[in-house]
Amino acid sequence: MREDPAIDYRSFVDARAGTVDRRIFSDQAIHDEEMERIFARCWNFMCHESQIPRAGDFFLNFIGQDSVIATRDRKGGLQVFLNSCRHRGNAVCRADSGRVKSFLCTYHGWTYDLEGKLVGVPGHKSFYHEDLERDKWGLVRAAKVESYKGFVFATMDPETPPLEEYLGPVGRMGLSMAAAHGDVMVVDGVQKNVIGCNWKLAVDNLFDWYHVQISHASAPLSGYLPKLPYKDEDHIVALGEYGHAISGPRTTPEIRAALAGASTAVPLVDERWRDTPEAMAALGPVGVASRGHPNIFPNLWIASSGVQLCLRIPRGPLSTEIWWFTMLDKNMPEDRRRASVERMNHTFGPAGILEQDDGENWSQSTLATRSALARRHPLNFAMNLGRGEIVERQPGVASIDTHINEHAQLWTYRAWADWMTAKDWPALKCDHAMPTGVV
Amino acid sequence: MARQYEVERFYADEAALLDARRYRDWLALLADDIRYWMPVRRTRTTNELDGEFTRQGDMAFFDDDRKMLEIRVKRIESGYAWAEDPPSRTRHLVTNVRIVYDVEGTMTVESNFHLHRSRLNSEEDNWLGMRRDTLRRVEGKFLIASRHVFLEQTLLLSRNLSNFF
Repeated sequence: MREDPAIDYRSFVDARAGTVDRRIFSDQAIHDEEMERIFARCWNFMCHESQIPRAGDFFLNFIGQDSVIATRDRKGGLQVFLNSCRHRGNAVCRADSGRVKSFLCTYHGWTYDLEGKLVGVPGHKSFYHEDLERDKWGLVRAAKVESYKGFVFATMDPETPPLEEYLGPVGRMGLSMAAAHGDVMVVDGVQKNVIGCNWKLAVDNLFDWYHVQISHASAPLSGYLPKLPYKDEDHIVALGEYGHAISGPRTTPEIRAALAGASTAVPLVDERWRDTPEAMAALGPVGVASRGHPNIFPNLWIASSGVQLCLRIPRGPLSTEIWWFTMLDKNMPEDRRRASVERMNHTFGPAGILEQDDGENWSQSTLATRSALARRHPLNFAMNLGRGEIVERQPGVASIDTHINEHAQLWTYRAWADWMTAKDWPALKCDHAMPTGVV
Repeated sequence: MARQYEVERFYADEAALLDARRYRDWLALLADDIRYWMPVRRTRTTNELDGEFTRQGDMAFFDDDRKMLEIRVKRIESGYAWAEDPPSRTRHLVTNVRIVYDVEGTMTVESNFHLHRSRLNSEEDNWLGMRRDTLRRVEGKFLIASRHVFLEQTLLLSRNLSNFF
């Protein structure tokens, strides 16, 4: 439990005016508190189960700024530990992925098994006189590790609700979009790079369909993206408790057919996977129609119509690691797989035609939250403000039918303020924004 | 020695074209069937180094044919490629050129590179690594038939890759 904050975090996010105080994007103290109040409490994405299929397979990730190891034990269970020896704190795993029999600290040789138990201490008898209680000095384990449809998450807080409850209908819909592409497995190679921006500005951007025509104007001009055979005028926004959201264009079977026709010549995602009974059963009518981007709060973007995940990992207030995971049906024919992989490689990642131009915008935005004069003025998230009527077109799913808007961004910041204000999970559960009414 | 000198001159001329932003002239150095590839690199232990780089067909930073490289050039020329507008100032240093294979007019050449990028007022990026090229001798000139670029970094410390290696 954290003490009640001395800072009034809700004062930074004005949902009525649609403004957000710039200080939350660069203040070191706020950033440090985010690590405690958000990342140490939420469910954090670790990896897909296909990345660690066998005992001892591991993938290194982060919870906030803490290095963690996601691995599989000999009983097939998923395990997540802090990557820090209990003796002097050294990392017990320094490769970013691979397979091990145990985790050996290279400082003095303390050795931990795949369940994080301390099983080897050099000199346990001769130097420690067997006084060291090894069962008390295992690696620090995540409070809970759970998988939803193959996507592995961990939380360090024992009070965090179960993953499915945390995700709610909107978060589950987002991950179901990723799981709906068949027997999916991660394509080898997680692209990683660093952008000099605050992590929240990167997250904010995933809902932003307003920037595409300017930020990414070079994509159609270069001939990479075609002129679309329709207009993305209708949008759906789905808002979930604790900050999950999905926002973007509404598709119809007619649009999907037109898009598929266009994609024979150009690199676009074929959306016809939505036109199946399985997709309807997993996503419902809102999910099937939404070509929008889900974010699992705080930092997991489900991109490319569910074929890619992009994780935004904070490295201090002014720096964010961007990690791209690509997932395809393992039974996909080789020529289609090859074409899909190429399309992802060309679109996203640091050399992607769509992504190259984002980083500079976000870093320049971040810079202008530090300087004395600029930071006096809040950022504007007021597009369509006061006009977003939340309806329940699908049981349990709060959604808005509209056009390009900033509802999901503002929703994310409102949720951020809720998380930052709550001293613990019971407090967050009873005091957080609910998606009802008009936003 | 003459052959070595010829290859080194070719790389110096190529670097000069890129640093002068003469991308159309640079494209003229590429074979029509070029594959321009930069795999993802991982931090691995010694006994798992066989998985250090992704393989062709899996994820990569670049996995381009000539058409895709032309799109990248056209993008820069569009006036809307903000990552390169204002344009970066680059310097390509190519050293340690080694002809490792040369049969019937086709050479495999490895070289080390340092690409330095200066951007806006104070932005600076450095990429070091190794290139493995296939050079094809056509009518007395070289064409680059493939370029595999192996960066040292596993986590790229730059916001993007908007330049050619």
